[in-house]
Parts: sequence; structure tokens; C-alpha cells
Amino acid sequence: MAPAPPRHLLLLLPLLLLAAAPAGADDLVAELQSLRARSPSGVIHLTDTSVTRFLSAPASRRPYSVLLFFDAAALHSKPDLHLPQLRTEFALLAASFHDRNPGSGDLFFADIEFAESQHSFHQFGVNSLPHVRLIRPEHSTLAGSEQMDQSHFGRLADSMAEFVESRTGLEVGPIVRPPLLSRNQIILLGILFLISIPFAIKRVIEGETLLHDRRVWMAGALFVYFFSVSGGMYGIIRHTPMFLTDRSDPDKLVFFYQGSGMQLGAEGFAVGFLYTLVGLMIAGVTHLLVKVESLQTQRFAMMAVIAIGWWAVRKVIFLDNWKTGYSIHTFWPSSWRIWNHPH
Amino acid sequence: MATAALEFLPAPLRSFRLKTKQQELLLRVSTLALIYVLAFIVRLFSVLRYESMIHEFDPYFNYRTTLFLTENGYSEFWNWFDFESWYPLGRVVGGTLFPGLMVTAALLYRFLRALSFAVHIREVCVLTAPFFAANTTLVAYAFGREIWDSGAGIVAAALIAICPGYISRSVAGSYDNEGVAIFALLLTFYLFVRAVNTGSLAWSLASAFGYFYMVSAWGGYVFIINLLPLYVLVLLVTGRYSMRLYVAYNCMYVLGMLLAMQIRFVGFQHVQSGEHMAAMGVFFLLQVFFFLDWVKYMLNDARLFKSFLRITLTCAITVGTLALVVGTASGYISPWTGRFYSLLDPTYAKDHIPIIASVSEHQPTAWSSFMFDFQILLFLFPAGLYFCFKRLSDATIFIVMYGLTSMYFAGVMVRLILVAAPAVCLISAIAASATIKNLTTLIRTKSKSPQASSGKTTGSKAAAKGAVDQSLPFQHNAAIALLLGAFYLLSRYAIHCTWVTSEAYSSPSIVLAARGHNGGRVIFDDYREAYYWLRQNTPPDAKIMSWWDYGYQITAMGNRTVIVDNNTWNNTHIATVGRAMSSYEDEAYEIMQSLDVNYVLVVFGGVTGYSSDDINKFLWMVRIGGGVFPVIKEPDYLVNGEYRVDKGAAPKMLNCLMYKLCYYRFGELTTEYGKPPGYDRVRGVEIGNKDIKLEYLEEAFTTSNWIVRIYKVKPPKNRS
Repeated sequence: MAPAPPRHLLLLLPLLLLAAAPAGADDLVAELQSLRARSPSGVIHLTDTSVTRFLSAPASRRPYSVLLFFDAAALHSKPDLHLPQLRTEFALLAASFHDRNPGSGDLFFADIEFAESQHSFHQFGVNSLPHVRLIRPEHSTLAGSEQMDQSHFGRLADSMAEFVESRTGLEVGPIVRPPLLSRNQIILLGILFLISIPFAIKRVIEGETLLHDRRVWMAGALFVYFFSVSGGMYGIIRHTPMFLTDRSDPDKLVFFYQGSGMQLGAEGFAVGFLYTLVGLMIAGVTHLLVKVESLQTQRFAMMAVIAIGWWAVRKVIFLDNWKTGYSIHTFWPSSWRIWNHPH
Repeated sequence: MATAALEFLPAPLRSFRLKTKQQELLLRVSTLALIYVLAFIVRLFSVLRYESMIHEFDPYFNYRTTLFLTENGYSEFWNWFDFESWYPLGRVVGGTLFPGLMVTAALLYRFLRALSFAVHIREVCVLTAPFFAANTTLVAYAFGREIWDSGAGIVAAALIAICPGYISRSVAGSYDNEGVAIFALLLTFYLFVRAVNTGSLAWSLASAFGYFYMVSAWGGYVFIINLLPLYVLVLLVTGRYSMRLYVAYNCMYVLGMLLAMQIRFVGFQHVQSGEHMAAMGVFFLLQVFFFLDWVKYMLNDARLFKSFLRITLTCAITVGTLALVVGTASGYISPWTGRFYSLLDPTYAKDHIPIIASVSEHQPTAWSSFMFDFQILLFLFPAGLYFCFKRLSDATIFIVMYGLTSMYFAGVMVRLILVAAPAVCLISAIAASATIKNLTTLIRTKSKSPQASSGKTTGSKAAAKGAVDQSLPFQHNAAIALLLGAFYLLSRYAIHCTWVTSEAYSSPSIVLAARGHNGGRVIFDDYREAYYWLRQNTPPDAKIMSWWDYGYQITAMGNRTVIVDNNTWNNTHIATVGRAMSSYEDEAYEIMQSLDVNYVLVVFGGVTGYSSDDINKFLWMVRIGGGVFPVIKEPDYLVNGEYRVDKGAAPKMLNCLMYKLCYYRFGELTTEYGKPPGYDRVRGVEIGNKDIKLEYLEEAFTTSNWIVRIYKVKPPKNRS
């Protein structure tokens, strides 16, 4: 994925090496600790220069391990890579580690960005993301450091913590996730809730709540229906994206996935919308259209309903046959023998 | 009627002149009879296409227990300890199954025998599900009549007779709990709604017995015991509390609970498990409601009553919460089980319970599955919802709630489409029936009084509106067009259902069919070949190790002892097998020795292209094994997160027991023209380890298409 580093960066290399003047092990640790203190999440941002300085040093002057997250701002928009999400999880991991081991000099968390540090990516031999590496003191070369396996991203920060614990022997402790709402927000909501209780009780007794409004129930019911049949739950459980980009042509978006076992978010909602549309039109024709005064409007609406209904049903049946690959047909007794299936 | 007809024999035509009501009755009864027959015969495709046999996995266990029941009687069955499965633990079968299905089949069998029909118990088992599906159509008719009118009932019966979502679990041969349970479920709901509508103790009692039958047949009864209280709660909240509701729910709950406790597998769960607490809570809430009603009647003083109300409500809620907290904390009330919890929080199972997540029928549902199982019913469903809301009654509230909750659950798990099927059929039937009724009424009134001029349409419209509760605004032509559209939809539904039943849902999955190069059908009967080989060629006390999917089939058809089977009650035991399968041969040998394993059975599809084989299931074995034994790590079997079996596969993968057993001597075989030997047709790659040597096992039997391979575990070496 990473193109070869541009020529001018290679020219800069000798300069960078010069910049990495020898420094004592304690100096490096102290420097890293101060960098860490400056970063809000405790993740140090590295560049080509600092990689050379902190990581290319011989093992004797490098008594610490570094867990390095390879990031690329240009790829944050790709939904299937989950880079921003993994980056926040990585920060969570760092924060939890520092809570557990304040002031530790054994393990540092760092990230590095592709556009500004292409050389380092090259040195590590990283050519695909997401990528996390652990550089321990005994690793003599950068490329020899250990890569965190794909499976350790699976359960996010928790599984990354397992990896760190198993490789370094340091304890990360429980992952501390920030609560969904901050403390003040919770207090505010609590006060609002308490204030609203008497009003709510009054309305319940008078029978004027939303619960007594038939239309609210119906909207809710239709939404549950829409959500279920469009496979929304599938999207939640499998974390499927709304759409994909075509591999051969990145500008083209793929909304419909061919194959019965899988679906994308958008296609489900599109089909669910068609179902709901036709259903509500059937209901509307018998319940709402009768109340319209103008005969012309009635005629026009009726034609529209018939046309749209016909189109929607055909569309869904066509899509389903295309997606699942089934060719549904009638059984005619005489053609049982000569019936030939397209495989 | 018959005698009256005889007297008019000379003029036979006159004798058939029936009154309109009689005509209608005759039509209705004959339609229902036809639907009944249709529901039965459409499920016979599987017998027609294959043969009269038990399908899939679980039904084999049910068949085996039914056989035991008919041979040894009920008390033996009740006390049955099965030492042929879960070796060396065994299984208390009588106390760990829902006996409803087996008892039903055994009774049917006895009944047929008493009528001196010499049937085999297998035929009874094969046809139990279609028989109950046919009965379900009758219940659907009654239910539809109860919530709307008899027209909707007929349509509902017709829709459910061929609804693929229901057929998928009730074709001939799928002898599983769901086959009778859906009948019981719908019956319970119908009787309960009937009880709420009439307030009659008799109907309520009947629904309690329906519930009892449901509890005895399927674990899905938990749906009933949570939906009914939810329904009662909604009625209370919307101010529809009535004496009828009080009678119906109390009788149903108390009697249903007492009856359900008679099922050993369920036992005291109704008072001890968290899943059943909602029903109990609503039961007490109803008492409080009734009590308050009574006090209000006695007091006759608004202010006094208000303060009384405040005190009672506070007390009741505090006591209820306290009881729940204390019960849960002391362990008296058990927390929710994983399966139930995963319905409410759908992502739960995926992260925490691999043994649930690994089963294909527990996957979330994609839209195409809904389309496949319901087709046009999905278009009619929202319309039906709208109709129900327009004519809100206790009964329509119930069907709406049933439809929506089951729809939600169907979205979480594919298999629960089955539970949603009756509700979807009923609600869609309301839409279809009401629409068609309106259209035909319109056409009839127009044709009787030809006043289609635009000036008078509004007047006739108003008249029609007065006659029917919903009417159509347009002229004759539009009504006919819409009617044709409706028939187009319904005929698409019939075509779709027939096709789906015959092509997709009638496969027994124990005999596989594929289409050959010349278009003819090729049958792979390897499973039965292997099981009968086991039966004939192994010692009767041999222990067979296989992945749990095949446990029931081996015990039922091979009559041999297995280590694990489809009743996944002991995760550790399954994980041990998973660990053995994913270890190197020498480590696996130790595990197999400790379990006294004599034969190992694996399923392999590389030759035929059968994709649900053990290599494709292997990652689940690793996950389940690794969940208990941390020495098994999933990353060891993957290369960069990718699952491979070719040259680039992980070394651990290439040398684990499962790989070796599946691909033993496969490297010498050419499977496809133009491909190198050892080409796996499922994965589409040339395998990575062609030179497999077995040290502790030896090949005993491989079926004709290589689908099942059986290996003998060698005895320990002699000490020198």
C-alpha cells in the first residue's frame, strides 16, 4: 500500500542520522517521559527523526519497549480499515496503562503518520494497515520487531492489552473507558428527569401522554418493522458498512452486494423502504384517499399508486433474484422433464 | 340437509339450491378443507424428491428417543440414562429434553396401530410435522376470525399453509420440536385472545393447557411467557384494563405455571429464573389493580382514594423491587441465560458465547432471507399494521405486539423467522382480505347501479362508506386494476412458495444432491454409508470422536457411543474435542486415550465440493477449544488473519489432527481435470501438505465420495 519513499527523503537521511547524536539511556527515557507528559492521551507522536533517535539506538541504550501504532490520515475515510476507531482504542490502552503504572519507563506508546514519516514505514517494512508493532529492547533491527496480529485488534483495547501483557510481562490492568456522558451531563439529566416526573405523572393520570396517541404507536411499530426487514440488526451485529467502494474503480460506490449470506447497510434500507412504501400505499388508498375532495386528485393518486406499486414489487423481486442467484419459476407439469436449469 | 335432499331427488338441481348463508358456509368449509390438504401435501416434496427419511441433525435424536419411548414405555423413557452419548459422562435424557414431540408421535403411532394400520414409527415421525402444520392452518383461521373476520381467517390459513418461513421447519422428515411447537404457540395465543375477548374461564383454562403443551414441546415457550405479560402491561398502560383481562391472565398464568412445572426439564424455573419474572410481576400488578378498583368502589371518596393510591403504589413497587433484588442477590432467582440475553443485546453472543455464535441458524438475518421466507407478505405487513391501528381492539393490539416482537427477534436470529411466520401471515391476511373485500364490494355496487358519471360518484362513495368501514374512491376500472394487482401479488407468492419448498427446503441434508455435468441429479449418500459401516464393522462398545454436529446421527444411525453431540450442555467436553482436533497428532493421541476413543470421524468436502465440512468448521473448533484451554490460540492457525489450507498456511494448521485426517492421501487424488492432484474443490486451492504420515491413527474407512472419513486409533505400543 505504501509507495516507495520519494527520492528527496532519502537525501535527507544522512542529515537525520547526524541529528541523532548519541545520548545516554537515562536521557532517552527522561525525554520520552516528558514527551508523554505533553501528549494528552499519553501517546507520543513520532516522526522519522525521533524514530531514529529513540528506536534505532543500540539495545544497551534502549531499556524500554515501544508499542507503535502506524497511522495514515489519508486512509481514515476507508470504513473497512477502522483506523480512527483503532487509534482511539490505542489511546485508551495507553491511558489505562499509565493509570496502572504511573511514571513507568518500561513501555511507551507511540504513533507515527504515513504522510510525514514514509521512511520509517519503509524501515519497518510496513505495507498494509492497520498495523501495530512492539519494539522491545532485545530487537536489534526495526524490521525484526514484533507485529501485533490481526486477531488482537478484534476485541479492540482489551485484546491489545492481552498482547502487551503476554509479550512484555507488564500489567496493563482493566481498560478504563470514559463514560458515555460526563459527570456534569449526568447530573443535569438527572435534575431534568426529577423535574419532569410530576408533570409526567399528571399527564399519565389525565391520559394525555404520547403513550395514548395512536399515531406514535403506529410510527414506532412501522419503524420496528422497517428496521427488522431491512436487516438493520445484521448491520449492527456484523458491523457491515453502508456501502463499499469498487476495488477496480475507487470512485465508484457499490451499494448492492451479490450473494445471499451477506448484505450492506444501504441495500437493506433501500429494500426495507420499498416494502414500507408499498404497504403504506395499500393502506393509504383505502383510508386516506377517500377523504380527498377533488376527483382529479383521486384519479391521479390512484394511477400513481398502481404504477409505483407495480414498479416497487418488480424491483424487489428482481433484486432478490439477482442477489441470491435463484431463478424462481412456476412448475408446469408438462415441462418437468425438459426443464433445464441454468446449472 | 341430506334427508331433505333425498326427497327432492326427481328434481336434483332444485335440491342444491342453498341459501346464501349456507352457500357461504359450504364455500368456507370446503376452502378450509382444501387448505388443510394443501398444507400437508406441499410438505411432501422432500419425500417425493428423496425418500421417507428423518432429516438433519436434531431430528435423529428425537427419532431415537421416540423409538425408545415406543419400545420401552413411558416410565422407562422418563428415567432413561443414556450412556451412549457424552462418554464418559452420559446424559440423563428423561430430565433434559422437552418430551412433547416424542409423546405426540408415540400417541399418534398407538392410535394408528389401534386402528390396525401397520405403520412403522419412522413414518409417523416423518409425517408428524406436516400433520401439525395442517392443523396450524385451522388455528390460523380461527385466530384470524377472532381478530378481524372470517375472510381474514381464510386468507391467513391459506397464507400460512404455504409460507416458506414455516415450511422450512416443518417439511416431512424434519422431525423437530418446532414442528409441533408452532402449532402449540399459535393455539395458546388464539385461546388467550379468545379468553380476553370473552372473559370466559373456559377459554382461559384451554389456553393454560395450550401453554402446557407448548412448554412440553419447545424451549421457545419463554416467548409466550414474556409476550403475554407485556401485552397485559400495554393494555394496562393504555387504559384498557377490564375484568375479562383479569380473569384471562390470572387463570392462564396460575394454571399454566403449575402445569409447566410438571415438565421435568422446566421444573421450578417459573418461580426461580429471571426470564420468567416478568410474568410473575405482571401477575402481582394485576392483583394490585384489581384491589385498587375494589377500594375505589368501596370508598366513594376521591381524595381519600388518591392518598390511598399513593401509599399502595409506593408500597407495591418497593416490595416488588426488594423481592427481585433479594432474590437475585441470594441466588434464588437465576440470572438470564446467554441465549435469552443475546436476543436483547444482539452483539452479546458474538463476543461471549462462541458455541451459540457458531451455529448457522443463530446468525443475524439479512434482508434477502426475509424476502426468501415471506416474499409479498412483507409488502402487506405494513398495510396490515395500519388496518389494525385503524380498528384498535384488544385482539388487534395483541396481534400487532406479537408481530412486532417476533419481527425484531427474527432480525436477530435467522431461526426465529419461524416464530414470526404466523404473525406475519395473520397481519398480512388482514391487509389482503380487507383490501380485496373493499374492492369487490365496490365493483359489485357499481355493477348493480350503473351510476358511474362523475357527478354522482361522490354520493355513491358516501353510501359505500356508510356500508363498509373502508371504501375506495375511484371508479370501476381502477378497482378492477387494483384487484388484478392483488391477484398478481398473491399468485407470485404461490409460485415463490412452491418453488422454495421444492428446491430449497426439502433437502434432508443427510443425503446430498448435486447437479452433474449433463444436468442430471447426482446423489451423495455418504453419511448413511459411513454410519452403517460403523454399525456393521466396529465393536458395539466402540467410542467415536467427531465434532458435535454429527453426534446425534452417529448414535441414532451408527448405534455407537459418542464423546459429544448436538445437545451442547457441557462446553468443557466439547472444548476437549476441539482441542484434540486442533493439536498435533501426539498431543491429540493423549487426549483421545484419556477419553477411550476408538475411532475418529471427520467430514470432508474437498472431493465433492461440499462446503459445510469440518475444514470450514475448523476455526470454530479452535475458538471453542481455545475458550477453555488457552494453549490453543486462534492466531496460530491463521496467516495474517487469513484462513488458508494451501502452501502458505500456518505450520500449526498444516500439521494439526483435523488437517491430517481430512487430507490424508488426498495429495494422490486428482479431483478436477486440468488441476494438480490434491486440489481442494471447496477452498479452490491445491493443499499445502500432501505428504501426510499418520503415526497413532490409521485409516479405517472412507466413503465413496470421500465425504466421511473414519480413522481407527491404534492401541498403545507394547513396552519393550
